[in-house]
Amino acid sequence: MALSSNPLNATILSSLFLKVPIFAYIIGFFQDFVFSILKTGPIPRHVAFVMDGNRTYAKNHRLPLKEGHFAGANSLVKILEICYKSGISQVTIYAFSLENFNRSKDEVDILFGLLRDKLKLLAENEDSYTRFNKIRIKIIGNKSFIPPDILKDLEHVEQITQDKASKKTLNVCFPYTARDEITYAIKSIAEKRINGEILKRDDINLKTIENNFYFGDDVPPLDILVRTSGHTRLSDFLLWQCNTNCTIEFPDTLWPEFGFISMVSILFKWSYYTTLRIEEEIMDGKNLEAAQQTQSPVLLRDLPQPPPATSVSKKK
Amino acid sequence: MIKSPKIIEDVRINNDIDVELKNITKEANIIDQKIDEPPIKGPPSTNRNINIFYIIMELIHNFLKSSFGNDKPVETTSILQLIIYYFNHLILLQLFFVIAIYKNIQFIYRKIYLKYLTLTSYPNKSPSVIRQDVVKLSKIPKVLSCLLDLKDDDDENGGKDGLINDICELTAWSISSSIERLIIYEYSGLLSQSYDSLIDLRKYIKKNLGLYFGTDAIPTFSIKIPQKNLIIYSNESKEVDIQIDLISRIDGKPTLVELTKTMSELALTKELALKDITIDLIDEELMELVGPEPDLLISFAPSLNLEDYPPWHIRLTEIYWEPDNKDVNYAVFIRALQQFSNCKINIGK
Repeated sequence: MALSSNPLNATILSSLFLKVPIFAYIIGFFQDFVFSILKTGPIPRHVAFVMDGNRTYAKNHRLPLKEGHFAGANSLVKILEICYKSGISQVTIYAFSLENFNRSKDEVDILFGLLRDKLKLLAENEDSYTRFNKIRIKIIGNKSFIPPDILKDLEHVEQITQDKASKKTLNVCFPYTARDEITYAIKSIAEKRINGEILKRDDINLKTIENNFYFGDDVPPLDILVRTSGHTRLSDFLLWQCNTNCTIEFPDTLWPEFGFISMVSILFKWSYYTTLRIEEEIMDGKNLEAAQQTQSPVLLRDLPQPPPATSVSKKK
Repeated sequence: MIKSPKIIEDVRINNDIDVELKNITKEANIIDQKIDEPPIKGPPSTNRNINIFYIIMELIHNFLKSSFGNDKPVETTSILQLIIYYFNHLILLQLFFVIAIYKNIQFIYRKIYLKYLTLTSYPNKSPSVIRQDVVKLSKIPKVLSCLLDLKDDDDENGGKDGLINDICELTAWSISSSIERLIIYEYSGLLSQSYDSLIDLRKYIKKNLGLYFGTDAIPTFSIKIPQKNLIIYSNESKEVDIQIDLISRIDGKPTLVELTKTMSELALTKELALKDITIDLIDEELMELVGPEPDLLISFAPSLNLEDYPPWHIRLTEIYWEPDNKDVNYAVFIRALQQFSNCKINIGK
């Protein structure tokens, strides 16, 4: 990367460049064109992000920690826009892990405040981003860990974006870990069993567990999981959802630098492999049919009479 | 002529054969039925057996057919929109074509690179060479897990024998690098079906370790199938140098479902309070039922696909895979260890 040697200059230049209306217009037009191309192929229904690398970004650019998180939040809005425009209905973000409580008090406060402010900004007014685009915001996670004042605000945001007709959803995992979620599901199933909502032992299956997650029962299976900043770990995020038919991507870019090109290339790659898979299944199906339509039955008894059978060592 | 069933009987007894004629049709039918059940299909995108270009030709063919035929994939209102849709779709297919070419070139490049790595870091079946590679690293995983793909019987190193061969090699490398626990994950659980394969596996691992360490000083090992609660030791002593676990799809989500069932039954009979169902309890049970959480997972599949790996266990596992690589080879193994030694784990920070 030639630009990374002098990243600040590069970002200033490119932002200046984008400020000129004609260029912004052309780029916008081009992006819309890319989306309309993408939309003609298969489109993932559910995409999840682990937004990693905000602090490294701040360190690399010699910015205060807060600025790093702020840049990350801006990047999130950009990515959300890309996802919804290309027709992805569910986006899940890992905003805060239960383990994040291990961080310093100051940083936890920054993160909580930032999340609240951002969500408010996204949902406050009638014409703010999510409400204008009819995006539902759902808070996923163990709410008992959220301080009451923040919880109140979050629930308010959840409520005002509640639009039954809309299919687009932003799931904010806050504070969340997958193990906590599985435990929660087992607990609520046990509770239902006690209350008599589940009648038999054998009524419990994979589907029951999935329906009892924090996500609820109307979430499509996860198609893509993206973790930025090159760490190849899942860090307790969507463990259950990401191990069946899910593409996991570990791009090397830091989250604030994760932009249009990185996201669109992931989508194209997914679309390509999914198309291949679907076509392959169709062809395998055809081959199977062809293989089954062979060999009409031959009846043994209808064959001509054989000559009499004899044996040399005949006894009787 | 004297008929003497006594003689025949005696011969049969001395030959360890049943005296009565035994009809095994029933048992054979049961086994046949088991085979007739559709085989567990591997997860998609692990093995590709149809030429990519052929698929693309078919796609374009479909495209032409559908654009002049009647089946419209989109609900459009005007002709203009329809034309725009097909125009865009055509561009998408062109892009796929370009991607296909690019991927093929990349595939060849990676194959050559891997070949190069394999040649430069060949362990030559010598534990000391492997140990020298490992000594350079700052840390090694305590529990290593390997995700293996069952290849087609006709493929090179495929089928059950190929799988056994892979496990033998992995065991030897792990012992040489002083890893004490190796968890082998294979989607269908082919090797954990019967005693026979376990006994076979033990025999082949011993043979292979003999090649590495010499037949007089074969390291000890144990193979465990947590799902069947079976264990086999390489010899009488229970002190082992490496412990191998064979797990499969069943140990993942289905085990969690069973756990849920049992726990809710216990809760119903008041033997388990709801508030006692905690992460720690479930963790403890699953450690017992399936095994420990691996520190490093090496996937020997061409693309990163977790293939229903037990979800509870991959929380903080470092994942390593080599794109477009289908084979179990030492270069991948040592590179995974290198990556592990370089990674920094800071939970939540």
